[in-house]
Parts: sequence; structure tokens; C-alpha cells
Amino acid sequence: METMPAQIALNLPAQLACVHCDGPVLIAIYDHKNDLEHSKPFCCHGCLTVYQILQLQGLDQYYDIKNQMGAFRRRTPVEVEETKYLYIDDEEFLKEYSYQNSHDDQVMEFYLEGIHCLACLWLIEKLPLFVSHVNSSRLDLSKSVAVVTLDKSGKFSSVAQQFNQLGYRPHPLKKNQESNQLKMKEERQNLLRIGIAAAGANNVMLYAISIYVGATDVYARAFSILSVLFALPVLTYSAFPFYKNAWQSLKNKTFSIDLPISVSLLLGFGMGLFHFFQGMEDNYFDSLTALVFLLLLSRYFLKKIQENALSTQDLHYFYLGESVLRAKNETLTDFEEIHSKYLSVGDRLKIPAGHFISADGKIIRGDSYLNTSLLTGESAPVKVGPGDLVLAGTQNVSSEIIMEASKVKNETRLGGILKNVENGRNLRAPIVEWTDIVSKYFIIVVFALSAGLFAYHGFFHGNFKLAVEQSLVLLIVTCPCALALSVPLTFTRSLGKAAAQGIMIKNDATLQKVSEVKSIFLDKTGTITHGKMEVVNFKLVDENFNTKKLFQLILTLEQNSKHPAAYALLNFAHKHGTTSVDLTDYRETPGVGVEGNFDGKHYQINREGFFEDGKLIAEFSFTDTVRSDSKSIIQNLLNRNFNVQLLSGDKFSVVKEVAKVVGLNESRIRAMLSPEEKNRIILETPRSMMVGDGANDAIALANAHVGVAMHGSMDISLRAADIYLSTPGLKSVEKIIILSQETMKVIKRNLILSLAYNSVSIFLAMSGKISPLAAALIMPMSSLTVLLSAFIGTKKLRALWK
Amino acid sequence: MEVIVILLPLAVILGLLFIGGFIWMTYQGQYDDLKSPKYKMLLDDYKKKDGGDELNGH
Repeated sequence: METMPAQIALNLPAQLACVHCDGPVLIAIYDHKNDLEHSKPFCCHGCLTVYQILQLQGLDQYYDIKNQMGAFRRRTPVEVEETKYLYIDDEEFLKEYSYQNSHDDQVMEFYLEGIHCLACLWLIEKLPLFVSHVNSSRLDLSKSVAVVTLDKSGKFSSVAQQFNQLGYRPHPLKKNQESNQLKMKEERQNLLRIGIAAAGANNVMLYAISIYVGATDVYARAFSILSVLFALPVLTYSAFPFYKNAWQSLKNKTFSIDLPISVSLLLGFGMGLFHFFQGMEDNYFDSLTALVFLLLLSRYFLKKIQENALSTQDLHYFYLGESVLRAKNETLTDFEEIHSKYLSVGDRLKIPAGHFISADGKIIRGDSYLNTSLLTGESAPVKVGPGDLVLAGTQNVSSEIIMEASKVKNETRLGGILKNVENGRNLRAPIVEWTDIVSKYFIIVVFALSAGLFAYHGFFHGNFKLAVEQSLVLLIVTCPCALALSVPLTFTRSLGKAAAQGIMIKNDATLQKVSEVKSIFLDKTGTITHGKMEVVNFKLVDENFNTKKLFQLILTLEQNSKHPAAYALLNFAHKHGTTSVDLTDYRETPGVGVEGNFDGKHYQINREGFFEDGKLIAEFSFTDTVRSDSKSIIQNLLNRNFNVQLLSGDKFSVVKEVAKVVGLNESRIRAMLSPEEKNRIILETPRSMMVGDGANDAIALANAHVGVAMHGSMDISLRAADIYLSTPGLKSVEKIIILSQETMKVIKRNLILSLAYNSVSIFLAMSGKISPLAAALIMPMSSLTVLLSAFIGTKKLRALWK
Repeated sequence: MEVIVILLPLAVILGLLFIGGFIWMTYQGQYDDLKSPKYKMLLDDYKKKDGGDELNGH
């Protein structure tokens, strides 16, 4: 017995990239089979089809645009679902999902999977050119939502088919006109408030500076009048949300940061008007308007980041797939395509290979392999046959089956998990940010002091003008706007920088929670490992067998099989640069293997290895390989005193093997866990971070102190998790931890800065050493210092952002 | 200093014009989608480079 000859292993061809999706090409498919020199390689037929459609329509400019985009490449092959989307044309469905616009056109919105770049935008908006009856097609890149209008005779199913063929799987969105309009109105109003505040603040500043530098008499008066004119809309219309929130917090007897802001604004406003009517020039409109503008702007950015593209109500269909093939008759020969929401118990469904199962039930006909990893975490496909129970959310891997549904929609096991996920999100107690607590006490202190100062000057000395002025100075100069501004801005900046690197963090509370994490739980499949099978322990048993021929035969035998092991073997054979040969009598037996005849001999590949006329030639086994950087990062995390543990639904022996590779000892691994058991472990461990991939971790992700969903996981994980990583590997986990710790440092520094400033200014204001003018000048200065500090960050943060 | 008599109303009118324009554009829906237009702007350049406008659909 001998291991693989070394010269073969070294003979790797340069990795080809698919022309359409830029993903790696295992078995190249060429557009001109007979003229390879002028041909372009594709990774799959899906990508080739899209390429050909675009060529045919004269839309090949797509590739020019795409190739300019660099970083935003797709890198995942086009997967075309074999469905005609006929259910979309159902009248009942149309009633719920489409509406008419003012031109009497039909309108439908689609969420498109796989939208990734500018070229997609270009292509989607060209839809009217190559699909008849389409009047317009607009894509909102940030939401991946396309709005398509059709003339009266058009059918949405043909639009959906076209999207599908282009590799963007379409999901019709329920029309929600009223709430959408409301949202749009609110959005526009927010923008108007900011815009008017910006214009007002700038104009007021201009006139204020003129007064500060010494405009007198009639000029000063004119400037004052204009200041009031421009400040009025800012302090009424733009600042309205602050007043509203303050009023709400008063009603609920809570303290919010909007309370002192509102009081300062109103008091300053009143005082300014009082000064104005008394003929005095100094008012505080310049600083008040600037304050309104900056606060509105920072809140707007915060809101933008927190907005989630899709509401949770579409979750179920996302996950189960929308179209189902239902039997029309008892003989199970005729099937119709329906939307999965119209499924009912007792329906008989056809599940073609590659499709997800939409209901829990029993198999009536057909043998196949199911990928149950989404529910159980088990990486190897499970063999099923007639009478076996199948669950919604599992994928039919190898061949067509027919099943009878016994539980549908929310009643399925998956539906239960989804419900749990949503509850998990609602139940999560919002952590009380300690900045809130600090500012709350601060507000109470400032109010008390202002009242004291007012009483001192007003009641003891009878000077009410001085009393109003001094307490206003105190309120303005100690306005915790530096505090209010710096914390969200620091968070927003960190979240934005993280997003630019493919780390999507749900909100700032999440980033803070990361800094509190003590235990890190890692899922095995797809997190520490690559999440796909690879060939290992390849041994040539018959040393005399020609290795070139061996790889050619493996390649030919496996290229039509859909079994995951076949992909692994294909990949492996392709690494050794082989071409295929002409086989006869090719046959795939599910659960056994593949076989065929070549050159008068019978060849077979099965679980044990590769056989020639029944004689073992080579043997191999499969494993899910560990990512190259997993070990070093896990060791780094251990050195940082994190309690790192490995959780898996897989067999103990497999998990142990992986743990050994990454240097985790046996006390840190837990195997054979169901989703519920993983969740229990998470709930028992405070301050836990769960890093997982797939729906089987969904409950654990939602209930962990911080849930991190890895690249490639289903939409469901993303919604359950707090953080989503679009780049594979644990590197990003380490980044998040550093990011969080450093961001908290900057925030603490800013809090110390602003509190120090406020303490000094309270002291000065109390002793009457600050004039209202000085107060108006000092306040923006403090905000500026804190802003600068937030933008400079720390050395480690800057290193992280490079 | 007398020039201010002309400049001041001019500045105010200019300012008001821009505010008015902003309000008008907001209600026209120009700011509804803040992400896609910046890319669409780039796409127009491509069309010009190609010399043809037939893909514009108008």
C-alpha cells in the first residue's frame, strides 16, 4: 500500500474562474464546445444559461460593468429552480400580492435573492427590453426589492421565470401599500426636518457671527430679525420629535435625554425671543439650531443602520420555498404548482431532487437521500424510503419522492423553531446602557441645580432676570449633547466600518454586549470547518494501476451524480487535471454508488472505494476539512481567557477529530446535540456568544447573549442572530471582539471627556462666571472635542479598519 | 457697509429658494431611495461610452 504519488499532487492546474459568477470552476463547461480557444469557462449550466441569455439579448455589457466592480463579485453559481411560478397568476394570489398604479398597470414587488452589485441593478432595470408586457422595472439595491409594472395582458409568472433564469430567485412581496406609504411619508418628513435644520442653522450662524464680530445699530437689528426668522422653523418643525419624546417621557415618568434637550431648546427659544423683543442682540439661536441639526443627523444615521430590509412575516415562505407540487388525482400522475401557504394536511406532494420539503409528513413513494443538516446538524445525508417520516426544512438530495403532508405551516417542527426564534427576539430584555443611567442621573442633578440657582437668584435676591439667565446658562452649558452625540456616533462609526468589511452588526447594543462575552460557543460544521465534504486518506491499493486513468474514470463516473460525496470526488479528481472518457452502461444506485463500463472492463465507485471488475484499486474516505485559520484564532481566543467550546449535532468521534486539529481538549467539546439541547447550554451559560451556521442553531443564536451567524447560513439565522458574517472563517469573530472592546474604550474616553467638561462648566456656571454668549460658544466646542475623539478612535481600531 | 442693503435680501432669497427646492424635491420622491441612484449615475457614463442610447428604452 502506498499513499498518493507526490508528483500528481503537485500537478495542480491554475484555478479557473467562472465568467458569469467568478466562482471557482471545478468541471469547466464551455460555451463553444468545439472551439475551446475562443471559449469561455463556466462553473455550471445555470451560469452558462444566463450568459447565453445576455448575449442573445445584446446585454453583454453586464460583464463590462461587473468586471469594474472588483470587490462586489458574486462568487456563487447561479441556481435555477425548476419551477414555472404559475401560482403567481392565481387570481386569489394576485389579489393579495399585486396592485394597480395610476396608469392602470399591474404592479408587483419582488424580493430578489442574489442581488449583489451594480451590474445586477443594470440588468434588472433592462427587463422591459426582453420581457414582453413589462412597462418598467425598478430595483432598490439597499432592499433587493424590484418593483415591476406590467400592462393589462402581462403575466407575472413570466417575469418571475425570467428573474429565476437570470439567477435571481424571486419572492413576491405582499402588497402593503398603506404601511409602506406611511413609512415613506415618515422618511420624507425626517429628511425635511434635517434639511430645514441644516439650512436654518447655517443661516443663523452667518448672522450670529456678524453680530459677534461687532455689527451694530441697524445692522445688528437686521441680523437679529433674520436669525429669528431662520431659527423659527428649526426650533418648531425640526425640533418637534424632541418635544414629542420629552412629553412622552414625562407622561411615563421616565427620564430621557430628550427632556433636558427640550427644556434647553424651549428655555433658550423663549429667552432668545425675550431678548429679541427687548431689543438686545445676543440670542442663543446659533447654538440651538446647530444642536438640533447635529442631533437629528446622528439619529437619522443610527436609524438607517438599524433598519432591517425585510419584515419577519415573510420568513416562513423564504425558508420553505414558495411553490409546491401538489397531486391533482389519486393516481399521483398529475401535479399542479401551488403556493406553500395554501398547503393543507393530507396533500400529496412531489419533491424533485434538490428541492426543500415544505411540510412534515410520510413518504409514499420513492427512495432518496435527505440533507437534514438544517434541523439536526448532521452533515451526512440520511437515507429515506416509503413510510419514513420527513420534516419540513430538509432538502431532498438525490431523487424524486412523493410524500403525504401530516403537518403544515406553523405546525411543523420547523414552524415551531421559527416561532421560538421570533419569541426569542421579543423576549430579549433590552440592556440598560450605562450611558443612559449616567445621563439620567446627570439630568436630575442639572435640573436640581438649575432650580436651586433660579431660587437663589430669584427668591433670595429678587432678581428674576438674572435668575432666568443663570439657570439657562447652566442648562445650555451642561446640556449633555456631547454625551448624547458621541456615544451613538462612535457606535455608528464602528458599525459602519464593520459593515464595510462584511460584518453586519444589528445594533449598537449588540456591539456593547460583545464586550461582555465570557464564553464562546462554536458550531462545528461550516464554522470551524468549510462545511463541505472533501476526500481524505486517498490510498492506491493496486500500485500498478495508471493514476491518470484512475482520475479520468472517477471524474467520468461521478460527474452526473448529485450525492455530496460525488462532488468531493469530482473536486479531488479535477485537482489532478483530468478529462473525461466515454463510459457505457452508466448507472447510479442510490445508497450504493455509481458504476459503468469502459474499455471492456466494469468499474464501480462505492463507500469502500474504487473497483475494477470487483477488485479494489483505491480506497478513500470523506471528511469536512478544518479551515486553515481556525486553529490560530481559537488559540488566540483561549489566550484572551475566553471559555471556548465546541457544540455539534455530529457524532462524538467526528467532533473529537476536529477538536484535536484546532487544539481544543475533550472537556471543551459537546457532541450529538439537538437544537434544543444547544439552546439549553446557551441559556445555562451567562454572557455567551454563539457562533453558528444554519437553522439548527437558530434558537441558540437568538437566545445567546450574542448570536453570530456565519457565511452561507440561511436567512433565518441572519434574522435570529445579532451579527452576520459574510466572509467565512473565524477571523471575523476575532475582529468583532477587538472592535467591540476598542469601541467601548473610545466611548468611555468620550464619556470621561464630556463628564469632565460638564463638571467644570457646572462649577463655572454656578458661580456666575459664564455669560450666555460664552455658554453658546463653549457648548459646541465640547461637542467638537468629543466628535474628534470618536473619529480618531484608537490605534487598534485604526489598524482594524485598514 | 451700504451694500449689505442689497446683499442681505439677496442672501435670504437665495437661502429660501434652496429650502423651497429641497422641500419640493423631497415631495417629488428624489430622496426615497438613497442607495441605487449613485450607481445609476455611473451607468449613464457607460451608455455614453458605448455611443448608443438604444438600451435606455426611450
